[in-house]
Amino acid sequence: MNRVYVIAANTFREAVRDRVLNSILFFAVILLCLSLTLKEMSIGDTAKVVRGVALGGTSLLAAVIAIFLGVGLVYKEIEKKTIYTLASKPLPRWHLLLGKYLGLWITLAAEVGLLTLFYTLVLATQQGLPSLGVYLAMVLLMAELSLLTAWATLFSTFATPMTASAFSVCIYLIGHFADDLRLFAERAEDGPFKTMLSILYRVVPNLESFNIRDEAVHGVPVPWSEVLWSGAYGLGYSAAVLAVAMIIFERRDFK
Amino acid sequence: MPLAIRTEKLGKTYLSGFLRRPFVALSELTMEVRVGSSFGLVGPNGAGKTTAIKTLMGLQRPSAGQAWIHGVAITDHESRRRVGFMPERPYFYEYLTAWEFLDFYARLTEVEAAARRPRIEALLERVNLDRFRHVPLGKFSKGMLQRAGIAQALVNDPDLVVLDEPMSGLDPLGRVLVRDIIQEERRKGKTVFFSSHILGDVEAICDEVAIVVAGTLRGQGTVRELIGQTADEVDCTFVIAGDPPGRVMRRDGDRVTVRVPSGNVDATIDAVRAAGGHVLEVHPNARTLEEVLLDEVERAKLVNEKRLGVLA
Ligand SMILES: Nc1ncnc2c1ncn2[C@@H]1O[C@H](COP(=O)(O)OP(=O)(O)OP(=O)(O)O)[C@@H](O)[C@H]1O
Ligand SMILES: [Mg+2]
Repeated sequence: MNRVYVIAANTFREAVRDRVLNSILFFAVILLCLSLTLKEMSIGDTAKVVRGVALGGTSLLAAVIAIFLGVGLVYKEIEKKTIYTLASKPLPRWHLLLGKYLGLWITLAAEVGLLTLFYTLVLATQQGLPSLGVYLAMVLLMAELSLLTAWATLFSTFATPMTASAFSVCIYLIGHFADDLRLFAERAEDGPFKTMLSILYRVVPNLESFNIRDEAVHGVPVPWSEVLWSGAYGLGYSAAVLAVAMIIFERRDFK
Repeated sequence: MPLAIRTEKLGKTYLSGFLRRPFVALSELTMEVRVGSSFGLVGPNGAGKTTAIKTLMGLQRPSAGQAWIHGVAITDHESRRRVGFMPERPYFYEYLTAWEFLDFYARLTEVEAAARRPRIEALLERVNLDRFRHVPLGKFSKGMLQRAGIAQALVNDPDLVVLDEPMSGLDPLGRVLVRDIIQEERRKGKTVFFSSHILGDVEAICDEVAIVVAGTLRGQGTVRELIGQTADEVDCTFVIAGDPPGRVMRRDGDRVTVRVPSGNVDATIDAVRAAGGHVLEVHPNARTLEEVLLDEVERAKLVNEKRLGVLA
């Protein structure tokens, strides 16, 4: 298991040295600071709107990075043939995949952490320290991201980055409209279409269950049980998706 | 006799293209590599050498047959515990420096923490990359990458080193370096299994050679066995006015080359010198490995005209 960590650390190092990623992050920090200083020009409740935009922006950006890195996670190793030296080492292939996945997760956690830090700093100078709810929202964002990266990783074990990105974006969008999807499924007429909708509703994760950003912005308390339940849901679901990815990865020929 | 590698009717069929047409890249490969030998896998482009090596290294599943490394089936990743491997045309993480790169693989192969630093230092020096330890691999030249790849294959001090074309992309100095490394490993009692196109090197350093043509094993044995045992005939070249005794092979002015049975060499030389001639060159009429390989390719062509068309 020590070697899973070695691979995770290397994946993290790769991301840290990725120029594209660094510039995305740089711009994110700038945008975050700018959006929060808008408060200067706003009156009353607009301060909340601004905070909401900053939080929403962070989560959207983190999702973009998660998909961007996730779809290349396995594909890039195969494409660049670095997999030859990696997969010939005496360790089970699923350790490789788990290591890469964890490395990606650590990368995202570091990025979300960094953005949260800037959020805190800027907010502290402008509006006062953010509430605990904001940090809980970030923790749940990480749960959402683990799910999203699990899907992206799964796609990257068999599809090109283009296809895998398209699939992942679909998961992301459907996942955020899951409640509407259910309503839609319930109202649809009986038939194959309804069956398809309800299967889709059950398979695709409900990403809105990780979203407590509005509550955080408006200072509405979220019960701990809900946070814990969402966290557990994210963890269990990610593990299941990852298990499928491992099975596919185990059987692959590296040509 | 302990075996480092044993394969039994190992085969690999690729399904290629949209129609998933099967292509037999390797068929019924049965061979044995003794522990402590240096074993060369030779064959023309597309013969199936890389296919065989990738299958042994667990990068793809065999479609037929079975193979064992140090007695453990290759389908078990444990079979590669005491193995080092360098793939053909090595591709490595460009963002890692030479040092980080070796350290990463040392950790992955569970080299103990205390042994890592001295091992990596020694290897960097061995492959002449110690000056470049902090340069990212993305800035390495082809030959430097190749040498880094060899260091990587040796980082866990493996009992079996598998190298796919270790000499390619290297200048003469680099090739001598790799030859020396292979022979050094063998002297330490390690097994070296490698593929190569540079038959002169193979001839010089391999205990044993397998010839693969069009996915099929066409011969295996010591270099001596493959190039046609010991030569029974010797070619002698003299500077002489008349005709020396023996079968004349070539004549260029007063230079004559004759082929004589190896028992008659002394008598022939005596006769030439008695007649006032000079001895220029005496060497056994043995085929080179290259000639043997070309013959095998010809033979395979006759046996299977069509398959070779695909290979060309
Ligand atoms: N992934 C693949 N899909 C389909 N065919 C393949 C694949 N990989 C290799 N082949 C075919 O298998 C045959 C053997 O290829 P291989 O790479 O093993 O040859 P090789 O002996 O290593 O040649 P070289 O000396 O050029 O490296 C070739 O005809 C090649 O076209
Ligand atoms: Mg090859």
